[in-house]
Amino acid sequence: MSGSIEVRGLSRTFHTTVRRPGFTGTLRSLVDPERVAKHAVQDITFDVAPGELLALLGPNGAGKSTTIKMLTGILTPTSGECRVAGVVPYQERERNARNIGAVFGQRTQLWWDLPVRESFAILRDIYEVPKAEHAARLEEFDDLLDLSSFWDTRVRHLSLGQRVRSDLAAALLHDPPVVFLDEPTIGMDVVVKEQVREFLRYQVEQRSRTVLLTTHDMTEVERLAERVVLINHGRLVLDGSLDDIRRKFGSTWQVRATLADAHTDVVPLPGIAVLRRDGPRVVFGPDGPDAPTVHQALKTVIERYEVTGVAIDEADLEDVMRAAYVHAEAV
Amino acid sequence: MAVLHAWRAARVTPLGELHTPPRMTAVLVRLAVQVVLVASLWHGLYSHTSTTAGLDEGQAVTYAVLAVLASRLRELDQYAGRDTVLQHMHFGTIVYWYLRPLPPQRYYALRALGEQLYGLAWALGGFAVCLAAGVVEPPRSAAVAGVFAVSLLLGQWVLYYVMLVLDQMCFFTIRNNSAMLILIFVQNLLSGVYAPLWYFPDWFITLSGFLPFQATLSVPLSIYVGRIQLADAGVQLAVQAAWVVVLALFTRWVWRQAARRVISQGG
Ligand SMILES: Nc1ncnc2c1ncn2[C@@H]1O[C@H](COP(=O)(O)OP(=O)(O)O)[C@@H](O)[C@H]1O
Ligand SMILES: [Mg+2]
Repeated sequence: MSGSIEVRGLSRTFHTTVRRPGFTGTLRSLVDPERVAKHAVQDITFDVAPGELLALLGPNGAGKSTTIKMLTGILTPTSGECRVAGVVPYQERERNARNIGAVFGQRTQLWWDLPVRESFAILRDIYEVPKAEHAARLEEFDDLLDLSSFWDTRVRHLSLGQRVRSDLAAALLHDPPVVFLDEPTIGMDVVVKEQVREFLRYQVEQRSRTVLLTTHDMTEVERLAERVVLINHGRLVLDGSLDDIRRKFGSTWQVRATLADAHTDVVPLPGIAVLRRDGPRVVFGPDGPDAPTVHQALKTVIERYEVTGVAIDEADLEDVMRAAYVHAEAV
Repeated sequence: MAVLHAWRAARVTPLGELHTPPRMTAVLVRLAVQVVLVASLWHGLYSHTSTTAGLDEGQAVTYAVLAVLASRLRELDQYAGRDTVLQHMHFGTIVYWYLRPLPPQRYYALRALGEQLYGLAWALGGFAVCLAAGVVEPPRSAAVAGVFAVSLLLGQWVLYYVMLVLDQMCFFTIRNNSAMLILIFVQNLLSGVYAPLWYFPDWFITLSGFLPFQATLSVPLSIYVGRIQLADAGVQLAVQAAWVVVLALFTRWVWRQAARRVISQGG
């Protein structure tokens, strides 16, 4: 089964009533409620190929969760359409449910009073997974997530990291081709985060699952995602590779070179400006919208000049995203 | 049945209880104390008279003790297990009910079935002890016992729907805990858990005749103690069955509204 995700012009508007302040305001709201429309997602279009991991990024309130809810079938779009593994989620919720696994970071689907393994068994029956297959997959997950050290513990006694690992396993036990993860690693320590990353990488690379992930952790994005979709105020701002984003918003690198000959003539190169010059020490920086990435610039500088030392300063992805959000705010 | 494969969902409540021995001890202690108190209360009330509201002492004590035992059938610590609809709405975990290939109404029904069977085990155990200790009278005949069993089954079925309606309200009026508590009190009062309904004023009895609550417990217990004669039991069973049908249709309709609400708000 092909686990592709297709999103076409997807929009979702929420209508809420606003409460007016004060006593008379409350009375007026009762008699004549003021309705406001909130355009949570507006005309979003993107694709995720089978076996691809895509990071859906954006600041709080951008519309990430709303998008994921529509793709999982628990929210109907106002307009536009989407297909997940060939199924229109909100039209065939149950059929879609067999194709997908989902984790909403702060919400657990496990049974609070039962040991983790009992939750797994209940899900096995609900999804009709054969016993042997279930056992084999559980063993595989245990190798990566170290579940057996706590799976006889009741969920209420798990630490956050243990709970999220269990939730991840629970969402994948029925072998879904498509996986949705809405801020799965929020609030977890680095060790567990790394474990989860390894697990996800394995699921994508070895098991060819399609993963749509939202996160605020840029290390995670850098380690896992080749492609990102950036949304803000419900609109798609950018769909491209991490390099694309760096090129567009991360032009804050510097290449600091020490020339072998302090008297060499230094001229600007295409897209590379000379920011400072102090004897043999020269600082290059990006110039204009078509500036190369820091790695390309480094290569160019080394090829062009004879240098005895070189260092780079690169804006990390965190800075890049900040720049991208600010840019998105401005348009 | 398409849901049989998911039978394990029926084990949620019993397993949760078995994994929490202190909770079971608490239940045992509370049940014992309640039975002793209720039995001595009714013995005391009858110390100066032999019949009230058409019941003799043995009947009244039997009714009251059975009501205590039967209240165990559906009074479990779902709340501690964070598995009430109210909590799922509050924590947003209700989305998972709609993310599985098992429809929420089937999951709910399976879960309630397991819970009721588990409660039945407790009630039967308590009943056996009370019978042996002479606290309750045995049914007067095998026929009474049989009709009682049928009526109790129907009554539990009605009770399932009444509880379901209370839970379903949470899909629409979220986060109103006190309203739930009041409704549970009303349900207990009108079904005769606190006291047999015949002791209440006439208008009260008339009013509750139009509500499903007395079909849950009052009717089967009245059959047991002989307050409803076997000859009249047929009508009562028919009324119970009618409630089952009406509530089944109603709750099915509400499930659809609930689903619509969840998928229009996204949980
Ligand atoms: N059920 C709802 N009713 C009204 N507004 C909503 C609802 N769900 C989300 N929103 C609004 O839609 C916007 C996008 O929310 P969300 O998708 O949760 O953002 P994100 O996950 O990117 O932080 C927010 O402004 C949020 O307040
Ligand atoms: Mg969100």
